[in-house]
Amino acid sequence: MTTKNKSAGVNRRQFLSGATAGVAAAALTNPAAAQQGSSQAGAQLAAVTPPSAAAEAMEYDVPEGYSAEEAREYFVRHPGSDFMVDVIKDLELPFITTNPGSSFRGLHESIVNYGGNSKPELLTCPHEEQAIAMAHGYAKVAGGKPIGVLVHGTVGLQHASMAMYNAWCDRVPMVVLGGNHFDATERRSGVEWSHSAQDAARVVRDFTKWDDAPLSLQHFSESMARAYKIATTPPMGPVVVIIDGHLQEAEMGSQAPTIPGVAPTVPPRGGAAALEEAARWLVEAENPVIVVDLMAHDQDGVERLIELAEALQAPVVNQAGRMNFPNTHYLSQGSGVVAQADVILGLELYDTWGLLNTLRDRVHRDEQRIARPDARVIDIGVKDLFIKSNYQSFQRYHASDLSIAGDAQETLPSLTEEVRQQMSRARRASNSEREQRWRAAHAQTRARDLDAARYGWGASPVSTARLYMELWQLVKDRDWALVSNDSLQSRWARRLWTIDRHYQHIGRAGGAGLGYGAPSAVGAALAHRAHGRLAINVQRDGDLMYVPGILWTAAHHEIPLLSVTHNNRGYHQEFMHLQRMAARRQRGIDGSSRVGNELDHPAIDFAKVAAGMGVWSEGPITDPNDLRPALIRALDVVDQGEPALVDVICQPR
Amino acid sequence: MLAKPCTVARALSALLILMCVEVSFAQDADQAASDGRALFTANQCWQCHGYEGQGGAAVRIAPTLYPFEAFARLVRHTNLMPAYSPNVLSDEKLRQIYEYVRSVPEPPALEDIPELSGD
Ligand SMILES: Cc1ncc(C[n+]2csc(CCOP(=O)(O)OP(=O)(O)O)c2C)c(N)n1
Ligand SMILES: [Mg+2]
Repeated sequence: MTTKNKSAGVNRRQFLSGATAGVAAAALTNPAAAQQGSSQAGAQLAAVTPPSAAAEAMEYDVPEGYSAEEAREYFVRHPGSDFMVDVIKDLELPFITTNPGSSFRGLHESIVNYGGNSKPELLTCPHEEQAIAMAHGYAKVAGGKPIGVLVHGTVGLQHASMAMYNAWCDRVPMVVLGGNHFDATERRSGVEWSHSAQDAARVVRDFTKWDDAPLSLQHFSESMARAYKIATTPPMGPVVVIIDGHLQEAEMGSQAPTIPGVAPTVPPRGGAAALEEAARWLVEAENPVIVVDLMAHDQDGVERLIELAEALQAPVVNQAGRMNFPNTHYLSQGSGVVAQADVILGLELYDTWGLLNTLRDRVHRDEQRIARPDARVIDIGVKDLFIKSNYQSFQRYHASDLSIAGDAQETLPSLTEEVRQQMSRARRASNSEREQRWRAAHAQTRARDLDAARYGWGASPVSTARLYMELWQLVKDRDWALVSNDSLQSRWARRLWTIDRHYQHIGRAGGAGLGYGAPSAVGAALAHRAHGRLAINVQRDGDLMYVPGILWTAAHHEIPLLSVTHNNRGYHQEFMHLQRMAARRQRGIDGSSRVGNELDHPAIDFAKVAAGMGVWSEGPITDPNDLRPALIRALDVVDQGEPALVDVICQPR
Repeated sequence: MLAKPCTVARALSALLILMCVEVSFAQDADQAASDGRALFTANQCWQCHGYEGQGGAAVRIAPTLYPFEAFARLVRHTNLMPAYSPNVLSDEKLRQIYEYVRSVPEPPALEDIPELSGD
């Protein structure tokens, strides 16, 4: 991204034209009209001496058959939003997801016609929540490179808000643009008023890193660069820039804005002295355990963690907010190892307290310590670098023994170096015994998981293990990526598939706000499309019902994605909560758990829903033996570059 | 020495009685298991344990090797699952559920499932 001076192409005609000239002309004939003009336009006006009508007619390209005055009223040659497109192109945002709205009709037109609808390309989403979740999914598999989102600043941001909360909790960057009309005197009656706000970004401010509402094109240019920089500096997160309708639509006029460019910020790293101390604790530990959550931005993060884990021969518990560590590596272990640890290294943990303790779900919630009482905790991450007060996504406070502020992926190489330096010969010699131990434990877990998958193998509804293993047979030799989270399907992908590339598992929603799964999968599939990867989405029924329109987006923009439903005909998670309440109150649950929880009677025919959106589909499949042939047919469609959906009636988990 | 005909007849009738007892016992067990399945469904055990008791949100419970007493203790007094008191699930019904859980057959062996034994 470069610094460009856009003033070169702006001559006197552009300098004084459009709205500014319009206000100027009005001021000459009607001082009252000038007084009504915005203070912004007024300030610009003060610096400008209006040219004579003759001079203006000479300078202005007046189409044949129009007077200069008519042309001034009818046509705009250099709208501010063209420059906005220049700025967006300079940021290299490849896509902008959007749901159209008049508060940004100027920018919409500029993107399409002036920008050629390419880099950025607009992607139509029938709900703003989808637009945001698509951007969320995209950034997670594009190494943290954000895309843009363009919505109404009022009703659009209200729709977008929950999805932005997910992105905030998940530390995922995106640049959200919201249209608005600042100047009350420039608003047409009706919708332009109800779709304007004094402070449009306020509705999402609790869960965005930064927002601004620029009043000039230069201000816009600088705020966009700042927004991009803030969004992509760890801890990453969504940012919002509110764009004034008038600024978009009016002639650039006297403004000669420049594009400052983005100088990326080097991510923060842990300090050397603290890392030396951390390395000493880890090397001296009998049972060091590494727990990792929102860490790896890309494959480098995975490789760096392998180096550290192998240097220590320490097990890694992957909480899988990101794909951080290969599940087939022998040091990949279940969370049970935390209980034995004497030193725990936490990397970008979302919840340190919850790793060490639990609050049981009983009438009187009691705390139980999971970790050893004497276990020492080293916490490396960016969570203390940026925090907001209202929403409680930061989890319970834990006084870690050594808390190091810094991006964990960036910090790992120095920590690993320190560990290597501090390893005595004796300590190094103990590594082979440790390695044997973890290899055996890993093999045992693998055998247990395979054995567990047998149970219910022939069941109808289809077992989730069967679903994943039928899929695996078809995809394992291809370049695939799972763009959904398998947590609510008993983690079968992470238990039985081979996941060794960062892009092969997308992690979780962040704020657990539903309506994330389907659109984030489509966003991730869009990012994978550029690499020709097969994107696979195991899609929950409840989640899809929030935002089924995303299927149409996938069809419309030809985003290849294989969706297979985990259709348990209900909000299963909530069934279980209701059951717990009924048992606790000794009222029994016979039949009543369906109320408010089932997605049945009538059963939703997702194959028909998908077909109605233009997506190839098959189902509902109830016999597990019918699954493989249906998946093969669906894959054929996906290989043609289209989305496909197979509806499978499944066991609850 | 050959058995006397009356001894043979007696032995045969005893065998017949035994077989009948066994058949009716098996029928009872079948009945209990099928009643148990209905109760397993109605009481929503499948929510956490799966329709076949194969596990899911909670542990696998079928086929079970637990004696009934251990099974009942886990249902009524466990730390993890919501405690089902006799007020909502009688001992008799719990036993029927137990019979169902016990009746679930073993799944095929790993070697007989190519998708699980292939790699
Ligand atoms: C926006 C939103 N509304 C409600 C919830 C509460 N909730 C958590 S899980 C769940 C059920 C989800 O159903 P589905 O996606 O089908 O998954 P299942 O539990 O059935 O496997 C609900 C409603 C939520 N997390 N987010
Ligand atoms: Mg469901």
